Amino acid sequence: MVKLKAGSTAQGSEEGTKKRRKIPDSAPLVGVLLFMMVLFSVTSEYFFQVDNFKNVLANAAVTGIVCIPSTFLIISGQIDLSVGSAAAVSGMLLAQVVNHHGVALGLLSVLIFGLILGCFNGFIVTVIGVNALITTLGGLGFLYGVALLIGNGQTLGMKNFDWLGTAQPIDIPLPILIFAVLAIIGSITLRYTKFGRSIYAIGSNPNAARVVGIRSNRVMFMTFILSSVAAALAGAVLASQLSSGDPNSGLGLELQVVTAIVLGGASLAGGRGTILGTVLGLLIVGVLNNGLILMDVPTFWQRIAQGLMLIVAVSFDSIRAKLNNTRS
Amino acid sequence: MSNITELIRLEGIKKSYNSVEVLHGVDLTVNAGEVIALLGENGAGKSTLVKILAGDIFPTEGVIKIDNSELAGLDVYQARQLGIRMIFQELNDAPTLTVAENIFLGQWPTSGGRVAWKELKKKAQEVLDRLEVDIPLDAIAGSLRVGERQLLEIARALIQNAKILVLDEPTAALSNIEVERLFKVMDQLRAQGVGMVYITHRLDEVTRVADRVQVLRDGNSVFLDSAKGVDRDTLVTAMLGHAATGNVRPEVSRGATLALEVKNLSDGQVFNDISFNVNEGEVVCLFGKIGSGTSEILESIFGLRPILSGEIDIYGERFTPKSPQDSVMQKIGYLPADRQRLGLFAIRSVAENLSVSSWGRMAKFGFVKKADEEKAFATWQEALHISARRGPSQEIATLSGGNQQKVLLGRWFEAQVNVLLLVEPTRGVDVGARRDIYDIIRKQAKESNMAVLVATSDYEEVVLLADRALVVSRGAISAEFTDDLVQANKLIAASS
Repeated sequence: MVKLKAGSTAQGSEEGTKKRRKIPDSAPLVGVLLFMMVLFSVTSEYFFQVDNFKNVLANAAVTGIVCIPSTFLIISGQIDLSVGSAAAVSGMLLAQVVNHHGVALGLLSVLIFGLILGCFNGFIVTVIGVNALITTLGGLGFLYGVALLIGNGQTLGMKNFDWLGTAQPIDIPLPILIFAVLAIIGSITLRYTKFGRSIYAIGSNPNAARVVGIRSNRVMFMTFILSSVAAALAGAVLASQLSSGDPNSGLGLELQVVTAIVLGGASLAGGRGTILGTVLGLLIVGVLNNGLILMDVPTFWQRIAQGLMLIVAVSFDSIRAKLNNTRS
Repeated sequence: MSNITELIRLEGIKKSYNSVEVLHGVDLTVNAGEVIALLGENGAGKSTLVKILAGDIFPTEGVIKIDNSELAGLDVYQARQLGIRMIFQELNDAPTLTVAENIFLGQWPTSGGRVAWKELKKKAQEVLDRLEVDIPLDAIAGSLRVGERQLLEIARALIQNAKILVLDEPTAALSNIEVERLFKVMDQLRAQGVGMVYITHRLDEVTRVADRVQVLRDGNSVFLDSAKGVDRDTLVTAMLGHAATGNVRPEVSRGATLALEVKNLSDGQVFNDISFNVNEGEVVCLFGKIGSGTSEILESIFGLRPILSGEIDIYGERFTPKSPQDSVMQKIGYLPADRQRLGLFAIRSVAENLSVSSWGRMAKFGFVKKADEEKAFATWQEALHISARRGPSQEIATLSGGNQQKVLLGRWFEAQVNVLLLVEPTRGVDVGARRDIYDIIRKQAKESNMAVLVATSDYEEVVLLADRALVVSRGAISAEFTDDLVQANKLIAASS
């Protein structure tokens, strides 16, 4: 590369100007979370206890495992709605194979299932060119059918495999540890690797990404595989917690995932979002659910709250976009 | 023109945003049956002024006089009531609906709750006749040429009883034939007493279409006169605030090694049997009107467009473009004409936008250091005079067009490409920054022995930028000019 001579002496003065202090994007989320924690601490004596927090986190962990690659997808402007049904199929498959062929083959079959589904989604979206929403909505439908098919519509009991969901090394449930590790790896990947940065670029402007030389299809394909493998892992954890495969266990998982991510500040239009935001969004959803349970609110109200929460979250997304547009 | 009827008069208009005044007391008068051309560099206040006219923005100070009444500002409804309509550069139509539907978009005549198709078609035909344009009513708007769709927008404005039309750079995306057609329509409207405000960057359009010309600079009105016989230099001086240096040809030079060789290239549609070559350190311009095929040739070399036949050699080796990604791997860079759609990652930082094509080189074990990106940006910020007040993390969307373009050029310089393809490199860039960009491109080509191929429809650009110029007409090369023979009149003559 040729050395550049400084063209002029101006410009240097920029360094002197002080950087504008910016409120971190996650600040309002932390605020909401703290507010909810205070609120539930007041309304329920059981809320502010270590065991309860473990409980909240353990419940959130299964959703959280799926949330990490799903955050990648949403930042890149895609979405995967098949994760809930994929988790259900994974749980059923695990129970079936573990009962007949042991744990090792059970886990292997789950991994292979995740890989195959990811390749399938990736192929349909990037090679055939079908909209991801539609592709994975189809997946949500047919995989639920597959989950029912495996157990003939029934749950399948699973013997001798509960450590994945219930073991507590260093006094913390294993699912929480898995989630924490994934979150850290995900965050580093997104921020510091070429792969992660490409995801932001693709989400920000898919056409330009091609022109600057990013292998968009390859990156998308990879991300769909990560998403399905994570969903399969989440399904396995869930089955292990329940000691059974339940075709209905993944119902609504995609809703929780998308709610947490969008709440965490990722834009459905692509290009924006962080793992930290997603984790905070996930905690908000988790604490809300937990608080409602402790307050003896009937479960159907929780469903209503969750659905509304998603709408509130995407409304914020839209309002934020509008504010950004008017700011000139 | 004898008895002039004044339609609207803006007096002493001031406008401030957050205590920053962008208009410092500007007057604007629109008369019936008259076209006033509004000129000025980007940021001179043209858009703000016409938005005030259209009721989108309320002025901070000043009066608006209509008939005998005085107002402090208009709102959108008043503006509509007064028959003020804006025609934007971007289309605002429904591409999947028919021409007739588009003319009445949103205001379809109904009878008893149903759309009155007969009436709709009859009136649509009337308005098209009035404009003397021949477009079938049943054609789908999306299948028409951009220029025709723009005429539909004017037709729609007329259906809504437009008395004052504001046309904001309507010719930017039009071919010369379409531009002439638009001007004919404007002549037609002038004869029918419509008042028009015409915003443009093209100075030669002023004498053709305008009756009066007004120039804004830095929020002030600095020039207002009859458009008849006004000369170009006067206008440029008014826009820039100082006399433009004449179109002096740069010092021509080229490296000895052949970098890019194109032989008998055809795409079977737009261009045919194109052969030329570019040496190291040489800037070659393909000059042609929009639609002549210049930009398509570059697209094909970069792998964005299929090639039917022909060969491309890079440093003597056969290169078959498969995809843009492949071309980037082969050290070919491409600057698109459509910066928004194909160039910018609008919501990402300037540093990221600049280094995105170099991530492959910067990455160690897949990791890209932010510090490396910021260093790259700092280097090019200084070399290219990029003004980004908030540093490397500033969102690129917040920069001016000229600065955005510099970042995108820096992107390929940083990627150390051997061949750089530039399509309309100064589109949407104001006059001042243009010269800067020409200097940058030339300097970089010479210093790093880069072969630069430019597709442009701006002859002035060719004169200022090219070592050598090839004229493309109807998809074929019609002339080649070197050294001091690269002259505007020669280029224009060869391109038509």
